[in-house]
Amino acid sequence: MMPMPIDDDALNAFVDGQLPSARVAEVEAAIARDPELAARAAAYRAQNVHLREAFDEWLHEPVPAALIAAAAKPARTTRWLPWAASFAMALIGLVVGWSGRDLVLAREGIPTNFAREAAFAHAIYSADARRPVEVAASDAQSLVTWLTRRTGQTALAPDLTSVGFELVGGRLVAGNEKPTALLMYENAAKQRLTLQWRKQSPGTEETQFRYAVENGVGVFYWIDDACAYALSGTLDRRQLLAVARVAYGQIASAAQSLPPH
Amino acid sequence: MAATLPHQDLVAAIPRLRRYARVLTGEGTRADDLVQDTLARAWEKRGLWLAGSDLRAWLFTIMHNVFVNQRALARRDARNVSIDDPDASAAAWQLPVPATQFTRVELMETMQSVARLSPEQREVLVLAAVEEMRYEEIAAVMGIPVGTVMSRLSRAREKLRRTNGDAPLQLKVVR
Repeated sequence: MMPMPIDDDALNAFVDGQLPSARVAEVEAAIARDPELAARAAAYRAQNVHLREAFDEWLHEPVPAALIAAAAKPARTTRWLPWAASFAMALIGLVVGWSGRDLVLAREGIPTNFAREAAFAHAIYSADARRPVEVAASDAQSLVTWLTRRTGQTALAPDLTSVGFELVGGRLVAGNEKPTALLMYENAAKQRLTLQWRKQSPGTEETQFRYAVENGVGVFYWIDDACAYALSGTLDRRQLLAVARVAYGQIASAAQSLPPH
Repeated sequence: MAATLPHQDLVAAIPRLRRYARVLTGEGTRADDLVQDTLARAWEKRGLWLAGSDLRAWLFTIMHNVFVNQRALARRDARNVSIDDPDASAAAWQLPVPATQFTRVELMETMQSVARLSPEQREVLVLAAVEEMRYEEIAAVMGIPVGTVMSRLSRAREKLRRTNGDAPLQLKVVR
């Protein structure tokens, strides 16, 4: 009896391991007889190997914090949640009240932990030698557009070359309430700085520069035009302040040249 | 109705979702936006997930639909452009990552030949060869008949074979 010809579907299923086991021997026999079929099977198998290897490299990239946050259950989805949330808020209020820490800031509208979060994000991302940012400085225009869109705040990448720092790139960081934009800078000595900002609720009072040290990372932070900014780095206070003044100056002057929004 | 989704499994699925999103959008930033939209949609639609069933296939189906809907919205004003028009969508697919990210030149070349496929061929090929999904699953994710999956797969593989030469595992002989 003449064997059935092997069609494309059978060959594809064969190389993908999806052919019913009863037909595998039939395809193997056909491949042994037919050099053209054998060449196609070999080429398809090689394609699979190369494709997996190439595409698997993407799986090893660090996942942005914003996506991990998006995997969490969104708030206010069940009936008991608002009650639990108000209880939690009351508890947080108690804790904050008891500790007394940053109470004044909280009243002014600065999330009490903004400086701490900024220092934390700085420590995580600036330590990453290979991929400290998601979008490199070479693509600065789309970086700025993206961060503007995602934070709802007109983004600007200050030019810090006058104080020796070049833009490396940027990323989005999951903030407690709102997404935080992060820009990273590096100087010739490979020291890194991050500038982070996130939009505050309207009506938030503006503040002067404040300084905090969290786990060895210095942070200058301020609120301007309902947006909280933080400049973080392991530089000493004087150096960091010099950079913060340059960044602040550029952000403030850019804001003035924009139409009110 | 599933009251919740397995959070750990969702987080674990993110790298694969990002990869599929890049295959669809051909661009890293838009891909991450698509992942975010997909996760939000998954939470909205969590009642439709059958607890214990394949979460990846379900998430991929959502992502495919979110992507197709967004693309349709973007093209509402360009009705004369067919969704299958290779000039309109294939040209938009670039390598979503810098070339230097690949550890070997041949991996880069593989990606470049994948970039030359039509979007539909590329999607089917990656789901079959890389995700190792069953053909029926691919058909369900993309909302197309299994026969269409098979013909797209055949065409994609032949196209790759012609661009890469008949025996890609052997070193090319340079005269």
